[in-house]
Amino acid sequence: MARDCAFVCQLASGFHARPASALEQATRRFAAELTLHNERTGALANAKSVLGIVGLDIRHGDGCRIVCEGPDEYEAAEALTRFVTDELLRADAAMPPVPSSAALPLPRLLEQAHATVLRGSPVVRGIGHGGAMRVHGFVIPEPLVSARTDDPHAEWERLQDALRALDAQYEAELAVDGTGVAAEVLRAHQAIARDPALAEHLQRSVRQHQLGAAGAIVAAEANFAAMLAASESAPLRERALDVRDVCRQLFEAMYGANHASAPRPLTCDTVCIAENLTPREFLSLDRRFLQGLVLEHAAATSHTIVLARSFGVPTLSGVAGLRATVSDGDDVTVDADLGVLVTRGNAATRRYYAMERARIAGRRERLLRAAAKPAATSDGRIVEIGVNVATGAEAAAAVSAGADGIGLFRTELLFMHRGDAPSEDEQFEDYRRALAGAAGKPVIIRTLDIGGDKPIAYLRLPREENPFLGFRAVRMYARFEDVVRTQLRALVRASAFGNLKVMVPMVSRLDEAEYVRRLISEEQARCAAAGVAFDASMQVGAMVEVPSMAYQMAQFSRVFDFFSIGTNDLLQYFSAVDRGNQTVAHLHDPLSPAFLQLLRQIVDGAHAAGRWVGMCGELAGDAQALPLLVGLGLDELSMAASRVAETKAAVQSLGAAQCRALVATAIECATSRDVAAAVESFDGWRPVPLITPDLVVVDADCDSREEAIKAVVDRLYVTGRTDHPRDVEAAVWQREAVYSTAFGHGFAIPHCQSDALKANSLVILRTRQPVAWESLDGQPVSVLLLLAIRSAEHATAHLKILASLSRKLMHASTREQVLCEQDPAALCRYLMECVGE
Amino acid sequence: MRIVAVTACPTGVAHTYMAAEQLEQTARALGHSIKVETQGAMGIENELSQADVDAADAAIIAADISIEQPERFSRIRKIEVPVHAVLKDPGALFARL
Repeated sequence: MARDCAFVCQLASGFHARPASALEQATRRFAAELTLHNERTGALANAKSVLGIVGLDIRHGDGCRIVCEGPDEYEAAEALTRFVTDELLRADAAMPPVPSSAALPLPRLLEQAHATVLRGSPVVRGIGHGGAMRVHGFVIPEPLVSARTDDPHAEWERLQDALRALDAQYEAELAVDGTGVAAEVLRAHQAIARDPALAEHLQRSVRQHQLGAAGAIVAAEANFAAMLAASESAPLRERALDVRDVCRQLFEAMYGANHASAPRPLTCDTVCIAENLTPREFLSLDRRFLQGLVLEHAAATSHTIVLARSFGVPTLSGVAGLRATVSDGDDVTVDADLGVLVTRGNAATRRYYAMERARIAGRRERLLRAAAKPAATSDGRIVEIGVNVATGAEAAAAVSAGADGIGLFRTELLFMHRGDAPSEDEQFEDYRRALAGAAGKPVIIRTLDIGGDKPIAYLRLPREENPFLGFRAVRMYARFEDVVRTQLRALVRASAFGNLKVMVPMVSRLDEAEYVRRLISEEQARCAAAGVAFDASMQVGAMVEVPSMAYQMAQFSRVFDFFSIGTNDLLQYFSAVDRGNQTVAHLHDPLSPAFLQLLRQIVDGAHAAGRWVGMCGELAGDAQALPLLVGLGLDELSMAASRVAETKAAVQSLGAAQCRALVATAIECATSRDVAAAVESFDGWRPVPLITPDLVVVDADCDSREEAIKAVVDRLYVTGRTDHPRDVEAAVWQREAVYSTAFGHGFAIPHCQSDALKANSLVILRTRQPVAWESLDGQPVSVLLLLAIRSAEHATAHLKILASLSRKLMHASTREQVLCEQDPAALCRYLMECVGE
Repeated sequence: MRIVAVTACPTGVAHTYMAAEQLEQTARALGHSIKVETQGAMGIENELSQADVDAADAAIIAADISIEQPERFSRIRKIEVPVHAVLKDPGALFARL
């Protein structure tokens, strides 16, 4: 007798590919036949087939039922009920955000360049320039498609062989590199290749309709692509590309690659233009030359886009009219900041984009300079800024981007997606690679943190009702002591090759701490006995993730040399909130006064015992929280590599004393909204002077009033005084529209008041050659003074300076000096003296 | 001649003060005495009292926006110009007095 598991689909974007493959994995181990019903449409499908599940077009709120029939139907229904209530929502992790596609007005310079411009949705930000190349997906040759078979049985055998070969190929590719976005896509494709619905469809075509393998593949692709295309959900429709990719791969596995019309190799900077592109077609493009991607199709969440994002290839989608406008070899620019494709560039667009590139590069160089220096507050407190990594290979890039070390190396990835645990040597090599990459800087390697939520098949972990409160991390070390000892031995050996520190996850009791320390001592003793080199003073620390630890920092400090706060788990345990559960996720609130108090207790406890304490959770990289983290006295913050430079620059402009006062205020607040307000009005940032030498440009190459105005505003962007140069520029032009600010004598004083500014600023720019400007005396302009004010209420002192400067400019002697001084620093000094600052 | 003047530009950051400076320079060069009130982003500075206005021979209102307390100038001979007229040709402006 059959059993039922009924549920309502809570997935916001419906049952798309990822939740479908999670369900497929949950069903795989049961022998029973499992049929998923969509109660809204009455359709049903095999619940062990991703394509079948996806084809049901189950949307948010649809009633569903899984009917289980067979020997283990009872267990299946039990397990699936648990799966749909506990785990299904977690499989629906947020897709990367799609930037808004609202059309921005074209910048004045681009407008005046009279270039042909096509609009699109920016899906991966950035600017890319190169020759256009149209890429057509490969097409299976027609004679092969229409060929019939006289031996359906043998043909089906050959197709099955090809399916197996394809599976093995995916397996081999994953073995080479099983991490990162590309591997995730490969896994999704492997699941499609293994899908029973695909095999069934192929078999039917061959055996019942006597189609040849090629014909069967094309029919299967058409069938599943149509099924997906009919879906209401955009992410699902875009999975059609994945099916197409797998079918093309299958064709190649069957007929060899010589039938495939692969895209031409790229030989110079290229912007690829396609109606649409499959993930594998994208990966086959040489990324040394790939400068941008333009898709006619309005894709936003396809795997191709996910890949483009991970490689940072500027991408526009939904660009209409491509075929009529762009030919191969055209000089084109993808501007995925603005959402435009500039076709047929001219001298004016080239000048504009040269300025854009200089603006972006200038900001990046400046941040890198900040990152090369220690993150020291204005009153001398140093915070180490580390990076979180998952493989040893990432360390070198992180350190060269300015990180002070690796604050967290998660080793789980080494253990996942494979048939058995990695050997000691394999681990040793990866740890040593991280140490070599870090070039003497500290590398904190966390021992295995696995459990019910990160299953590893070969450990055969029991399924748990509540994995986060169960058998995970240090709690399972005694049961898997051989695996743990192997890892510790690899770590002890690696410690001879750099500044390695070991960190233990999920510690909540002293006996756990002492146990791990004992294992490490024993492995060190074995190495010593065997004459293997190691670092006897290697520090061993603990993650602070279990709130109870906060009350025993003194005791834990006798066992551990340092601590690192894992905010995600700590907060989840402290506030009893599963942030993966959408109905309570809003209660996951790191700015709550209670949580800040807990953090302070941990930091103060560690410091009182003479231990240093860092933070490696998500909060560590949060720009808004930074003054609080500095105020709490954290010694180290570890974050995503992309956050390092900006965080270092931000710490350098903070005062630690003011940050401590902010924490004292925040902890007394009643709600996190009050905390946020206190942080918002925090005034402990180092005061930014109105003018600094880097705001003085004495030799700018500008052709026009528009270029000159862009150049002065771009200076504000490069120096970090605004993040929105287009808004500032618009405000300047709004003022110019009232009447020209070129008051004569070759001088102009464009000015504006804008919230897009972070600091009141005065920029001086002298042009190499005078530019035409509607000036009061009809003369061209060669000196610009940009007066940019944030808001009048908080700028009285600066307004006084600007007023005084304006008066001074009425004197010929002042103008003479500004025109002739060659040294930017001297010019800056002169102006400051001139206005008495 | 005794002159009073008010300057006021749209943003009140620069031109208000440039015009004020220009008026003072020109008046001095032509041998007039002048007091200039600025109405800028910092509010009214060097404010003209009714007595200042009454004691003067003429007023110059150099403004691109409507000024504060215009009633002070209801009984005096006055010239009203946009701010940039002061910067462009102050000599011509004073010639109209």
